[in-house]
Amino acid sequence: MTYSTLRLCSGRAAFEAVPRPRLALDLPAIRGRLEDAGVTVTDARVLLIARMEREVTISRDGRILIKSADAVEAGQILARLRALVDLPA
Amino acid sequence: MLMSGGIDSPVSMYYLLRQGHELLAVHMDNRPFTDDTPLEKIVDHLKVLGERFQRKIPLYVLPHGPTQIELMRNTDRHVGCVLCRRFMWRSAERIAEREHATFLATGESLGQVASQTLSNMRSATAAVGLPIVRPLIGFDKQEIEAVAKSIGTYGISTRPGLCCQAVPDRPATRSGLVQILQQEERIDVESLIDDCVRRAVVM
Repeated sequence: MTYSTLRLCSGRAAFEAVPRPRLALDLPAIRGRLEDAGVTVTDARVLLIARMEREVTISRDGRILIKSADAVEAGQILARLRALVDLPA
Repeated sequence: MLMSGGIDSPVSMYYLLRQGHELLAVHMDNRPFTDDTPLEKIVDHLKVLGERFQRKIPLYVLPHGPTQIELMRNTDRHVGCVLCRRFMWRSAERIAEREHATFLATGESLGQVASQTLSNMRSATAAVGLPIVRPLIGFDKQEIEAVAKSIGTYGISTRPGLCCQAVPDRPATRSGLVQILQQEERIDVESLIDDCVRRAVVM
């Protein structure tokens, strides 16, 4: 199932969710949704950096990285992000 | 000397300090593609090395994130690491010229990561004219880690920290200079370097 697992990244400073299978996200649309919700977004074309409670990196292939080493907080942020931008279940 | 916060660069700096060279550190601050931890680690590395060699090592922090964004927006991702390195070298060279330094240095060792193949090193370093010193070029990772542990920098380098988020999925391990120069025609190189160096902070 897509986004079923949040795992600590190799540097142990963030949690990442890697969808299986990889996706092809519409980043401009996601950026629009986030900005409509008042989230500041840096658009680097192949990825977005969203300033939520913590910085969140959203890659075009669907990988999401949440800059928090707290699993509970990272899970809450992922849930909020999914609610905001309607990522695939 | 380019410092990343990783295991290699403080070891490389250790060897140069041991030879009696006077060094200044340059860190390309990659936020928002990383977090605060690399800078915190470098500050601690310099504290350890400064105490060992009884000297203060100045640290220049240069904002590299805006350059990364331009590269990601306008150039092919698979050569992103080489382009990134060329900007790092150019920025460091500007600082070196300002400080009348006579060489650049890094903790690179051959073949360790995609940006450290001979082909990519050649493409990257063709951006600058100053000689580049790489004390660790023939070391393997185990040797570098052993020295890092013996000089007290290993524990700092291996604290939790975010990896660079700008690294592409499949970075090129071979790059031609012509191809790299064509990529750079898509961006305003001089203006990016000017802006980066102008915003340098000395710590």
